[in-house]
Amino acid sequence: MPLSLELSNLPDADVAALAREGREAAFRELVRRYERPVFSLIFRMVRDRELAEDLAQDTFIKVLNHIDRYRPEFKFSSWLFKIANNVTIDHLRKRQLDTVSIDGSPNAATAAEAEATSLDVRSRGESPLDEMESRELGSAIERAIATLRPEYRACILLRHVEGRSYEEIAATLDLPLGTVKTYIHRARHELRDALAHLRS
Amino acid sequence: MDRHLLPEEIDQLLDGEVGFGTAPLKAHVRACAACRAELDSARVLVRELEHLPHFAPAVGFSDRVMAQVQVFVPWHVALLDAVRGWLPRSRAGRAVAWAGLGSIATVLTVISLWLITRLDTVVFAADLGLERVRAVTVGALSDAAAALFGDAAVQALRAGGTAGVMLALLVLLLSAALAARALRAIVAGARRR
Repeated sequence: MPLSLELSNLPDADVAALAREGREAAFRELVRRYERPVFSLIFRMVRDRELAEDLAQDTFIKVLNHIDRYRPEFKFSSWLFKIANNVTIDHLRKRQLDTVSIDGSPNAATAAEAEATSLDVRSRGESPLDEMESRELGSAIERAIATLRPEYRACILLRHVEGRSYEEIAATLDLPLGTVKTYIHRARHELRDALAHLRS
Repeated sequence: MDRHLLPEEIDQLLDGEVGFGTAPLKAHVRACAACRAELDSARVLVRELEHLPHFAPAVGFSDRVMAQVQVFVPWHVALLDAVRGWLPRSRAGRAVAWAGLGSIATVLTVISLWLITRLDTVVFAADLGLERVRAVTVGALSDAAAALFGDAAVQALRAGGTAGVMLALLVLLLSAALAARALRAIVAGARRR
């Protein structure tokens, strides 16, 4: 039986152990299993397909190049999602800093000075219009998810799209369990508000 | 229960939590139309979220990832693979290989049994051989030690007797092990970078 067929029947921890032994087929199997969930999570976080691919690629490269750091007592998928979330949040924070810098000099003493030093430029993928026009993310619920704060978004996607438990989400996002519950509760509430007009 | 459900209580029911605490909540939902509507609306949302599709990255994604992944094969795995590589792939070929190995094992067993029946001769020959090997080894080691550390070191080793030689050997082995570990750490560090 070919190795790839045997691998598809193994649990994640065993495939990761084979990857640690330098089996290229095991690396490929891990990518095959998780390319869609990881890409989907990142895509819904950044709402830009090209950027999501780059970030998903970075995630897998980090994970696979450091597979020797994976501890089998934890779920492989939790470790993977943790890195995917960190890569994405790092990017979003950096983008936020970039946005601040074009809004005006941080050293500006007055509002007029800030206005004078601001640039009328928006980076690709940030425009709300672009986001709304995105075909794949065009449904009402996708648009409603996009309006959530990134941390709420990560929690709600992990909970209901990836089917993770509260404990797993807390471990994945390095958040206290209570915070995760609060974020998910608020996210559900905001989503219901955002979608209320469709039901009335 | 004489009040509507709190948001966290709606969440408890939504997450399907079980236990004593949820029984009165469920009873209240059955009796209260407002709370039932609230819970139903939350359930619809959760169902919609759970049916969101997974998106696929562009074709060739895994190839692009693998192009930047350093696959490191540990030496013991490489050795095992090499041994597996020597074994024939076909069932018949493997049967022939096992038959060959079995024949060799049988011949060696017969020779061993024959030698056991002539144990005195074997012991005498082995002693003789070992003595010669020992003399040659000691001579070679003494020459090497003299060349490396001088005659004084050789004299010191001889004065130390077997214990001295063992101690020197232990120090040598420890140094080799430390050097190997340091080398491995350097290689691992370079790989991570």
